[in-house]
Amino acid sequence: MRNVLIAGLVCLGVMAGTGAYAQSDCSKIVPASPFGPDDQTGATNRVTPAVVKAAAAEIQEGKVISLTHPLVDGVPLFGTRFTKTVLTATTLAPGGALGKNGATFMEDTWLSQSHVGTHLDGLGHFGRFDCYYNQNAMGKYINQNYMTRLGLDHLKSFATRGVLIDLVRVYQAANKLKTNAACRKPCLDKGTVISQADLEAGLKLYNVTLREGDIVVLHTGWVDLFNQFPAQNALYNSGEPGIGMEAAKWLISQKVVLVAADTWAVEVIPGEEPDVIFPVHQALLTDNGIHIIENAKTDEIAQEAQASGRATFFVNMTVPKAVGVTGNFIAIEAIR
Amino acid sequence: MPAPLLRRRSLLAAALLSTPARADEMPRTTVAFANATDDPGTRLEGTGFTGAEVRNGFALAARRMPLDLVFYDNMLDRAKALANAREAIARRVDAYILFGWDAAVSAEIGRLLGEAAIPVLAVGQSVPGTPLYAADNEAAGRIAGEALARYSAANWAGRTVMPVILGPPAQRTRLDERIAGIAAGLQPVPVTPVRLDSGGDPLKADAALRGFLAGHSGQKVLVAALDDASALAAKAAADATGRTGDVVIVGQGCDRTMHGNASERKELDPANRGSIVLGSVAFFLDRYGYDVLPLALAMAMRQPVPPVTRTQHKLITPANAFVVYPPIDIN
Repeated sequence: MRNVLIAGLVCLGVMAGTGAYAQSDCSKIVPASPFGPDDQTGATNRVTPAVVKAAAAEIQEGKVISLTHPLVDGVPLFGTRFTKTVLTATTLAPGGALGKNGATFMEDTWLSQSHVGTHLDGLGHFGRFDCYYNQNAMGKYINQNYMTRLGLDHLKSFATRGVLIDLVRVYQAANKLKTNAACRKPCLDKGTVISQADLEAGLKLYNVTLREGDIVVLHTGWVDLFNQFPAQNALYNSGEPGIGMEAAKWLISQKVVLVAADTWAVEVIPGEEPDVIFPVHQALLTDNGIHIIENAKTDEIAQEAQASGRATFFVNMTVPKAVGVTGNFIAIEAIR
Repeated sequence: MPAPLLRRRSLLAAALLSTPARADEMPRTTVAFANATDDPGTRLEGTGFTGAEVRNGFALAARRMPLDLVFYDNMLDRAKALANAREAIARRVDAYILFGWDAAVSAEIGRLLGEAAIPVLAVGQSVPGTPLYAADNEAAGRIAGEALARYSAANWAGRTVMPVILGPPAQRTRLDERIAGIAAGLQPVPVTPVRLDSGGDPLKADAALRGFLAGHSGQKVLVAALDDASALAAKAAADATGRTGDVVIVGQGCDRTMHGNASERKELDPANRGSIVLGSVAFFLDRYGYDVLPLALAMAMRQPVPPVTRTQHKLITPANAFVVYPPIDIN
């Protein structure tokens, strides 16, 4: 609770200092959505019936590979984030069973921030000042509990094709991999800027070209530190390899729906400019409505792709229709 | 009149990087950076920044530049510094950045590299006949002095105000310059600043200010600390003596103790606007690479650079700490 209070005070302090509720003229700060002035959906508009049907062709063996980390005490949590479950099991107490049939039940109270574990960033997660996706001045669209625009409830399906880009293999092939000593398997080190050329090389490795409506999954190897939780949590959170602005712009130009990575922010940390923070988040979410998945578990799909020579799959992922929420932990599967 | 100054890193960097070719398509240049020391326990330039932080800043800045950066650790050792310079000559680097700490050895290294026709960019300490990148201690001191004077005028008009300059001994020229700048910035305050020498020990800084406060009960005190460690010691002294209402402090350097991440212990934070530490003057040693590498690259390409380039110091306060040093753990 103390953390929540402190976080709240910090937020209030920041807002007071920067005039976050100033309700800027967002038409000068954020581009208009290509999907119309009322759009709150973003890039999942691209998941059309034709896109879903084409993606279904990726299901060839019926093999399902999880890209999801378990959400459990001890996994890396970023900054002041936390997650805690409280089990309600009163009917298991002596005399607590219900009826002649001895019915018992259990439920949980889940105290958690939404951006923990393998999770999706919604369009209300990141902005430029008070301006968010599709020129929404969000100061007008929030209350004490949730957003009244841009919530996850507006998203369409993610039933589309996934494309893995194995940056570890790219960097190994180019003889430029500088792994971190704490990674048990090869990984790109934190601060490594993944370029457009790196992405293109990764696609070429598997003879794939991106098409509109794809989900791109980046394997940097940083996942190995997450897998070692809690031993390497501090290192995992201290920075990461990731895409720079050049690569982000290129992915935007490819009209992808979502970019996922085995890191906590998808983009390179420390960033390319020391006084600019999370510019890729702004480029993808704020300016283009392209979603982000952080902390994806990519090691198994990377291994599968290398073994089979195929880096594409059908994406199975359901996002809760949580009204007015900025993001949520999700489960994502690759079906092949 | 000082030599012409270049105060914005972006100008030269933009000029060098704005060519149509992508960075990874441009011809590679090898630049050597000889750090005074890479030791994470050794602080440089009279600030809280360590040699390791300087090195890391160069590594980060080099990522998107069309150059290969070769690191040398001079370990504050003359023989090692000369050996490193000779190794760089043998390697035929295209430019050599020398973070100096010893005038004689810097001059000798400059001579050796000059004979090998390798351009040298001096950092921190001038090398005869070469361009210099360095902090502007006088300007940094003036920023602090002016901030304290402004606070005094706005909040303590009509009160007896005592200015204090607290921190390590000023044996080195640069701290003398810092002190002179502070005194100049404090000009609007009618009382001459009192110098409290900590001997470089924050505990002594704490004790010295406690003693001063005891001798000046009922008076307001402006503390211009010569580094952040002294600033935090001054705050501790004011806390311990119940004089937080009588003291305001400005530090020098703005290292992580001042601006750390959102979840770190630090002083300057939007949620800590009531602190008696008004701010700290940023020296940006952790970002030297972003200023210096564009200059070195230009020199390697035989392009002209200004004879002197100074750090663009800035007062970091709770109001702008998150802007200048955005914390990565944003939540």
